[in-house]
Amino acid sequence: MKPEVDDILSISAEQLMGLVPHLSASYLQGATAVQSLLIRFAAREYERGADIRVAENADIRALLKEIAPEAALPEDGSLAISALDAVNAELRRLLIAAHDTADAATNKRIWGLLKAMAARRAVSLF
Amino acid sequence: MNEALARYLAGRLGAPDLSVHDLARIPGGASRETYRFRARYSKDGATVERKLILRRDPPASLIETERSTEYRAYEAFHRLGLPVPEPIALELGNDALERPFFVMAEIENAQVGSILAPDPYGAHRDRIGTQFFTILGRIAGADPGALGLADFDGAGALDTRWQHEVARWEKVIDDDESEPQPIARGALSWLKRNPPPPAQKLSVVHGDYRSGNFLYDGAGDIKAILDWEMAHLGDPLEDLAWALDPLWAHHDPSHPAGTLARDDAIRTWEQASGLTADPQALAWWEIFAGVKGCAIWISAAHEYATRRNDDPVNAFSGWYCLAYHNQVLANRLEALA
Repeated sequence: MKPEVDDILSISAEQLMGLVPHLSASYLQGATAVQSLLIRFAAREYERGADIRVAENADIRALLKEIAPEAALPEDGSLAISALDAVNAELRRLLIAAHDTADAATNKRIWGLLKAMAARRAVSLF
Repeated sequence: MNEALARYLAGRLGAPDLSVHDLARIPGGASRETYRFRARYSKDGATVERKLILRRDPPASLIETERSTEYRAYEAFHRLGLPVPEPIALELGNDALERPFFVMAEIENAQVGSILAPDPYGAHRDRIGTQFFTILGRIAGADPGALGLADFDGAGALDTRWQHEVARWEKVIDDDESEPQPIARGALSWLKRNPPPPAQKLSVVHGDYRSGNFLYDGAGDIKAILDWEMAHLGDPLEDLAWALDPLWAHHDPSHPAGTLARDDAIRTWEQASGLTADPQALAWWEIFAGVKGCAIWISAAHEYATRRNDDPVNAFSGWYCLAYHNQVLANRLEALA
């Protein structure tokens, strides 16, 4: 069994937080605590990052097929985060354009999608 | 930096033997470097020791602000008798400490409530909350002209202040977004299509009045309102909405700023300001607060990603705070759609 990346990050975050009381400068204590929290966020993102992006891209694509059928929608290829982000950025641009001219019913549907997207990407402190 | 700071203050305070001791950087946000130190010098035959704070521009600032804005706000509201640190010296040049800075008195025996803490004020929450919203009401009710701040950014007709602020933060998003932001863009469109009523008056807006930006003591008394760097003129409801924002509510939005119940907070502000928090207008400014938050966090992420300012607080803001405000805005606007 090898340590997974999220395990390594989680354990490193704990170890970094354990150093905080031993730092003499209050600025360093604060900065190190925030760095530990960021590493904890990164551990969770390692596990869920690709899944979030694939799901979000699919949801945006599905709605755009209905409300902007003329749009050329990019498909996911590689599951590398950078590749998924590039597709996501293009889909988001198309969604923003569609939102600008949406009627009331479509506006409601877009906000429903945006609400689901925000919930999926929410970051927990705990 | 000790010697350079001592040389500068010796000249400014007319104390040739002034020396600087115990200079240490302390947490103070990513938009200014904050240091605590002691200045020791002779005055009238006696040795004086003053505990002071230095706020210096970082190599790149989170939100570009007029360097003198924060200092002048401290001067004005210190004169008015509100709890703010006594300003000592402002330097806009780069010669003394490489970047602009100002010096103010340190507030001793007081602490800041972390926005991540679930209940930072404990048994003092009502007492602190009453002071917090009363002070904000006094800021809102004050006359910018009488304070000497009539030239702050934001002056103009009462029915266009909202446009001024929306344009300001939209530009920040335009300049700094690294990926398309459909929630912020949708919210900006909503703000423009559903304008608020004209402002009741032109007020000094602190710009970042919230839990975590004031010092309080063990008795539950607020000793200083901090971080006036985004101060400007505008609709006083802008500050109230920002103070009520759930991001600063310590995980309990029914008690803004982790203090009073929401209705009590608004009533306290109304009594202190002599103004009315019209629910419809306040609701607009609360959506605006979410957009302004997104703009600040997008800017923080940009600063961090481009290494202009790699303070980890910027990464936290661009990740956690942006995700938080996206969710607040999407929930509110989905309900209104």
